Amino acid sequence: MSKPSDLIQGTLDLLILQTISLEPKHGWAIAKRIEQVSEDVLQVSQGALYPALHRLEQQGWIRAAWRKTGTGREAKFYQLTRAGRAQLEKELAQWERLSHAVGLVIRMAS
Amino acid sequence: MKLRRRWDILRMRLRSLLRPKRVEEDLDKELRFHLAQQTDENLATGMPPAEARRAALRKLGGVTQIQEECRDMRRTDHIETLWRDLRYALRSLGKSPGFTAVILLTLALSIGANSAIFSVIDGVLLRPLPYPDADRIVRVFFHSASYPRFPLNPFDFRDFRARNRSFESLAGFTRSDLQLSGTGQPERFTGFAVTAGFFHALGLRPARGHEFNTNDEIPGNQQQAILSDRLWRNRFAADPNIIGRKITLDSRPFTVAGVMPPGTEHPGNEYNGVAHGETVDVWWPFAFQGNPAHRGSHYLEVVGRLKKGVTSTQAQSEMNALIAQLAHEYPDALAGWQALVIPLYREIVGPSERLILVLLGAVGLVLLIACANAANLLLARATSRQREIAVRAALGAGRARLVRQMLTESLLIAFIGGGLAVAIAVAGVWALVSFLPAGFPRADTIHVNAAVFAFTLLVALATGVLFGLAPALQAARTDFHDNLRAGGRGAGGDRAHLRLRSVLVVGEVSLACLLLIGAGLMLRSFVNLLRADPGFHPEHLLTANVALPDATYKATEAPHFWGRLCASLDSIAGIRAAGVGTDLPWTGYDDNIGGFTIEGKKPAANEEFHARYHVASPGYFRAVGIPLVRGRFFTAGDNMKAPLAMIVNRSMARRYWPNEDALGKRITFEDHPKEADWLTVVGIVGDVKDKPDSPAAEMALWWPIGQSPVSVNNMAVVVRGSSAPSLLVNDLRQAVRQIDPTLAVANVRPMDDIADANVSTPLFALFLVAVFAALALTLAAIGIYGVISYAVSQRTREFGLRMALGAQAGDVRRLVLRQGVKLALAGVALGLVGALALGRVLWSLLYQVSAADPVTFASVAALAIAIAALACYLPARRATGVDPATALRSE
Repeated sequence: MSKPSDLIQGTLDLLILQTISLEPKHGWAIAKRIEQVSEDVLQVSQGALYPALHRLEQQGWIRAAWRKTGTGREAKFYQLTRAGRAQLEKELAQWERLSHAVGLVIRMAS
Repeated sequence: MKLRRRWDILRMRLRSLLRPKRVEEDLDKELRFHLAQQTDENLATGMPPAEARRAALRKLGGVTQIQEECRDMRRTDHIETLWRDLRYALRSLGKSPGFTAVILLTLALSIGANSAIFSVIDGVLLRPLPYPDADRIVRVFFHSASYPRFPLNPFDFRDFRARNRSFESLAGFTRSDLQLSGTGQPERFTGFAVTAGFFHALGLRPARGHEFNTNDEIPGNQQQAILSDRLWRNRFAADPNIIGRKITLDSRPFTVAGVMPPGTEHPGNEYNGVAHGETVDVWWPFAFQGNPAHRGSHYLEVVGRLKKGVTSTQAQSEMNALIAQLAHEYPDALAGWQALVIPLYREIVGPSERLILVLLGAVGLVLLIACANAANLLLARATSRQREIAVRAALGAGRARLVRQMLTESLLIAFIGGGLAVAIAVAGVWALVSFLPAGFPRADTIHVNAAVFAFTLLVALATGVLFGLAPALQAARTDFHDNLRAGGRGAGGDRAHLRLRSVLVVGEVSLACLLLIGAGLMLRSFVNLLRADPGFHPEHLLTANVALPDATYKATEAPHFWGRLCASLDSIAGIRAAGVGTDLPWTGYDDNIGGFTIEGKKPAANEEFHARYHVASPGYFRAVGIPLVRGRFFTAGDNMKAPLAMIVNRSMARRYWPNEDALGKRITFEDHPKEADWLTVVGIVGDVKDKPDSPAAEMALWWPIGQSPVSVNNMAVVVRGSSAPSLLVNDLRQAVRQIDPTLAVANVRPMDDIADANVSTPLFALFLVAVFAALALTLAAIGIYGVISYAVSQRTREFGLRMALGAQAGDVRRLVLRQGVKLALAGVALGLVGALALGRVLWSLLYQVSAADPVTFASVAALAIAIAALACYLPARRATGVDPATALRSE
């Protein structure tokens, strides 16, 4: 099980941005979605999730609004801002480059 | 797009800054939602409800930690911390209102009062002279053993001016008032006859027109006048075409040559002195000619502007060389004289230098005391807060965080104190200015000196930071566990603190004693001054000046006019005596005559007989209230047909006829006297000093008005009534108008005003020093109170124990008192020794009081110890007020 420290901070930001890029989601759903999609490999520590959301919000990448969920509870839904979308694209490109590079090194070494 | 993001960020920051509660609630709600979702999920897996919720909580982790981290993410940390520190500081200050009130008062009083008083000193005494390159302006006098500062003869001046190489401009001036008529009421204005280059020497130039040239110094040339801005506005409605206009001064036609700008200040002079300031209204050319061999008459005062790079000492050597040169040509007139060249600044500020020094010293002492007090209070507070600091440190507050908190608190105190100080400074300056004697020079220009205020505030701030921070640093460094275990009574730092605080208190008390002794000595000399017999009776006496224009009143007509005026005044009911004289007591006149011959006497080697000379009418002495010692006053019969008479004062009688009766003795002013040239002493009158604080009366003689060898066209009129002198003003004006309606009655004022003006400076100095001393004593008392009450609170347990073991309340009280009085005694002893050492500074400000006056020293010591005992009384009572059981349990 991955601990929060294993997730590089920038990576968590990237995951959050990517997760809400299709539709607005609340914090719990974001955590669930990341776990599901990664087939439970990436466990998002809830202790790290909310500070990260706060940070992204403070930086103007995401915007939040209170809405009713399907179960009738009030939840805070996060969505990308336009600037956030641009940021996501930039970070994705960077991630691609990085993982490609890491892959190359690993293949070379083996 | 970027703009939009900026806006989002700004909105978020503002929101977290301004509505922190709302943000926290949101976060709370969000986390609650998260928990609910997680619990639901757990329930779905079949957990029992309680277990499901606990598991959800566990998965979420520390809620507080999340909250704290989120707060960090909001990045308003610095401002928020500051805000929190401020609120904490306010709360903790509010919790100890005594400490807060005392330290704020200390700061506000010391900064505010100090700035106020210093502003007044600065405005009145320290302001630079209002002349460009004022350091190059000097006064030039003749000097000899008998006459240390003597005016020049016009011919000597003319030779100096022609031959010197030191001066850019050398100019003479002599008092010569003028009466303006033709526009409204006749009025007399203070005037000076000045040579060419007078304004140039001062570095001034007329706002309109031009100053006089040497051509104007030739008698008979067209008469010209330069007006002051004030005269131009008040009497000529600021006429823009004033230059060249004809006006009538002393019944003679004058042409206006110039108008001086506002702020033209007279440099001050000695002979018929006019004070430094905007005191002169008209200047006219000093014209002179005659036989240059006749150089006996000295009445021209001289001011000069040195060339760049020439010092006053160099100028003085050159003047001396010139005198030696001239002494070859005119040995009679110039032998025995030397030159004296003094910077103008020394001339003007010199006499009050001691006063300034003393007042500045007082400012410094009060500031020192205030700093000691602030330090003391902050140290006390820090010591009693060691435990609080330890607890906070144990709970995880970092050292930086603690220091920051302490700093916030110190600065908060300094700023609130500074704010209060501004109010006190402004109010204080206002109060001081309204207390200033009427006509005090430059009173209107006094305002709070921002630089002084800033400096004082800075000193207070530095003290606050230093003594507020040092304990915090120390506390942060020491082992908190020790402090916690020691239970509030603190660890080792404590004793050192108390010792330091005791030293501070001893210092405070000694400084306060120094100030108190200064104030006491000044009070005693002031009382002596008021009690001293002035030699005349100022009450119920009205004085005025009337001048008869030379053009209309020839030498023989003037005595006739005064005779008629005095007779007319004498006939008015309510006037008990009236007279005229060349001068009034205490008005700074300084007419000296020397070189007369006393029948049957020889002057000592290198000396000549000399005395102040005056002219008086028969009623003058009775009106002024100068007592007759022997002989008679003048009568109307002392005229040109009668033998020459004179009156001398007691000092002259004693000095020149020791162990003899001066009455009937004779002097003469002629070198080869005929029988008719001898003056006989017909009366001896009491002494009047030049100034109330002069060490002794000068020798003086009076001529009767009917036989005066000097002009009596300008006289002081004195009228004694039986009640308020103001009731006589109309009678006096009426009497003058009846004889000659063109004459002005000038300087109408009660003699009491002149007398008051003469003691106003010592009174003002006394007042300021007394205020300082009171301030110092208050601060020192606060200091003693602070230390003793802290010491008492530290020893509560001990006192409880003593009382439980049978000590009486009185014993404990005495114990506390003894501790306080011991500090006070040490302080007083140091203060008295210091005062003895500093006595020399005060000496010249004292009048008939020794600088080591035992009465003052004893009273101050008693007062200081009494105040100290009083300051200990409250804590002492508190020490005995506690129930022994409570005291023992208190820790």
